[in-house]
Amino acid sequence: MVLAADAIDLARAQTAFSLAFHICFAVFGVGLPWMLVYTEWRWLRTGDPVWLALTKKWSRAFAVLFAVGAVSGTVLSFEFGLLWPAFMSKYGGALGLSFTMEGFAFFTEAIFVGMYLYGWKRLSARAHWLTLWPIAISGTLSTLFIITVNAWMNVPRGITERDGRVIAEEPLAPFTSPSFGPQLVHMLLAAFMCAGGMVAAIYAVGMLRGRRDTYHRRGLAIGLTAVLVAAPLQLIAGDWAGRSAGEHQPLKLAAMEGLYHTGSNAPFTLGGIYDDKTGEVRGGLEIPGMLSLLEGFSTNHVMTGLDSAPPEERPDGTLVHGAFTVMIVLGSALIALSGATGFAVLRRRRRGQHPLLPTGRPWLLAAACTGPAAMLAMIAGWEVTEGGRQPWIVGGHMKVVDAVTGSDGAAPIFAGTLTLYLGLAGALILILRRMATGGPSGEQLVPNRPSGPSMPSAPRPRDGGRGTGPGRPDRDGDGSDGS
Amino acid sequence: MTSADLLLVVMVIGLTAYALLGGADFGGGVWDLLARGPDARSQRRLISASIGPVWEANHVWLVFIVVALFSGFPPAYGVVGSSLEIPLAAALVGIVLRGAAYVYRAYGAGAAGPDHWWGHVFAISSTITPFALGVTGAALATGKMSTSDPMEPVRSVFGLGCGLFAVAATAFLAAVYLCKDAGASPVTAHLVPVFRRRAFGGAVVCGVLALALLPLFAHEAPVVAGRFGDRSVPLVALSAVGGVAALVALGRNQFVVARLAAGLAVGGMLWGWAIAQYPDLIVGQVTVDDAAAPSPNIRAMLYAVVGGLVIVTPPMIVLYRLFTRPEPVE
Repeated sequence: MVLAADAIDLARAQTAFSLAFHICFAVFGVGLPWMLVYTEWRWLRTGDPVWLALTKKWSRAFAVLFAVGAVSGTVLSFEFGLLWPAFMSKYGGALGLSFTMEGFAFFTEAIFVGMYLYGWKRLSARAHWLTLWPIAISGTLSTLFIITVNAWMNVPRGITERDGRVIAEEPLAPFTSPSFGPQLVHMLLAAFMCAGGMVAAIYAVGMLRGRRDTYHRRGLAIGLTAVLVAAPLQLIAGDWAGRSAGEHQPLKLAAMEGLYHTGSNAPFTLGGIYDDKTGEVRGGLEIPGMLSLLEGFSTNHVMTGLDSAPPEERPDGTLVHGAFTVMIVLGSALIALSGATGFAVLRRRRRGQHPLLPTGRPWLLAAACTGPAAMLAMIAGWEVTEGGRQPWIVGGHMKVVDAVTGSDGAAPIFAGTLTLYLGLAGALILILRRMATGGPSGEQLVPNRPSGPSMPSAPRPRDGGRGTGPGRPDRDGDGSDGS
Repeated sequence: MTSADLLLVVMVIGLTAYALLGGADFGGGVWDLLARGPDARSQRRLISASIGPVWEANHVWLVFIVVALFSGFPPAYGVVGSSLEIPLAAALVGIVLRGAAYVYRAYGAGAAGPDHWWGHVFAISSTITPFALGVTGAALATGKMSTSDPMEPVRSVFGLGCGLFAVAATAFLAAVYLCKDAGASPVTAHLVPVFRRRAFGGAVVCGVLALALLPLFAHEAPVVAGRFGDRSVPLVALSAVGGVAALVALGRNQFVVARLAAGLAVGGMLWGWAIAQYPDLIVGQVTVDDAAAPSPNIRAMLYAVVGGLVIVTPPMIVLYRLFTRPEPVE
């Protein structure tokens, strides 16, 4: 039993780590293409080289992020079988349609990414822009298909089991999970917030270092628009997701709130540490009756607490409540910033000031924090979803402990994954940092370039990544990173 | 033919596509590893240029096969996952490192270590993956794999031989394909003889390995070998004809014919194995009928596959056509 517990912890840790790693890239695959659709469209319309510079810069970052996302996603599809063979044996059939459709969405994305990244000179400017659309659409659809799987694991529907064997599955089962709608909207908004926030953060840092040119201003404006428009919408989506959890996974909601005692007049608790032994939250901010009010619109509404399930069937309240608090605090901060920025923009417009976006030091510092805040909130949100599902791998049908591999290779494989991924992430950060610093590539802003849409001189990674012009490495800008 | 059989046919088609397209990308990495002499740099450039726009799309075939396996034949995937973890983990390391190293070299501009380091990572990991997948395939044919001994597949001489054969086959494909890419531009035309020689070398190694593996095959995988003798001889003959035809066509500078013939050589071998493997998925452990998911689910997947292929095939053709010619110069 001790051995099994070790195996299960390792398998869970490995899955959590690989998923977190993958999601950090996948969000850019969802968000960046839509932003590229906008910037390249502006360039097509105006011929303004600044729009082209932004497009090129982001497309190169996208190339790297997409590739790492693609290979880490492949690892995940294998890991389902390697780490959770019993889960896949039993429910693989039910999830087949979702994964197949996700596979084709990924196919479409990969094909058009190839055309987009390497087709600068082979396609007309307009055709090149059009290749972004299938990328953006299939990236979003990939999210949709994957969320159907996760929603189904949380709140399964459409399967009939007898004597531990699945005897009937509806092919469309994953699409019928009531958890699908709220999870999908919540995740898509999160992806936009993360991608937009990281872009905003990079340009805000650049501006804080004194590079206050049009290039930086526009980059900041686009990223900040994405994150700050999505943030208030996320409040609605999050509320929907919370209600869905309350209805279909009451124990998850109880863990999120650190609510032990079933009953009416349940408090809304933010922060603090849920104590497993006493069932109390220590040091949290408690609003009496608020949770009942939020969920049932009355303080008399009875909320299910963790005490309604035997201890071995409860999710880990400490972890889930902690992650939930992180997500709520960061999300609220982003919503507050969204409101403040909106207010400032309106005021500047009334006064006829330009640019509309406030770019004082405190504003830029706040903008620089949006990216990391959104990423952290997203990871915490996934911890809430997955931690709150415990101890089930398929809610009410199969426990995580029954799904795990019995092999003893788990420890070295996990150590290997950890080393490999951390090494790759480190290298990637160095590369993105080089891309991020120093402003647009010099070659894109040379004087006398034709102002209308033309065949741009592409970065030429085909020949090993060096050089956009004759003999000149495509270091961005003047090569100084301001440090 | 049941819907499970049909799904299996679709999976072998996917596997063939992965071998002929993705396999050649890995084979390019093998030649990157083996590039020597004053031309080495331009060889590596040609390899990098020819796989750049397509490797991600080619890679998706593998995801397609894995998804079809775990959705269509879930118990088989459970067995594969718990007893082939060593070769599969090795293949994954190769896949992750190959992809990451490729983009890090292409876009990194040296920010995360010199490009040639990533070049070496790219080349070595490109060799690991086909080797590990060859070992995996051999284990499915011999059935010598168990949950209690994950090292078993890597101890088998036949398995290791199949791994080498897979590397040689991908290298052969890549060399044949690269001849055409090299011939497409005067700048790289001097590389044609280099890759022609390599294609010959690859073909010879494949032939020698195949002959050496035959007795082991009969001994280690008697069930599949028996069916192989009964069913697969025409396909193997086709494969041999394809191999010879590819070399003849290369000698005459008919690069397109050479590509098709090389594809026939590798594809014939794969189908020969697949047909001999049927109806076992893992010999002695799992058959198609044991493992098939309920047929409504498989039918739903087949509809999704057909719909998906209708959507992705036209852009895929456009992708390959777009990059057949060298980049226009301004």
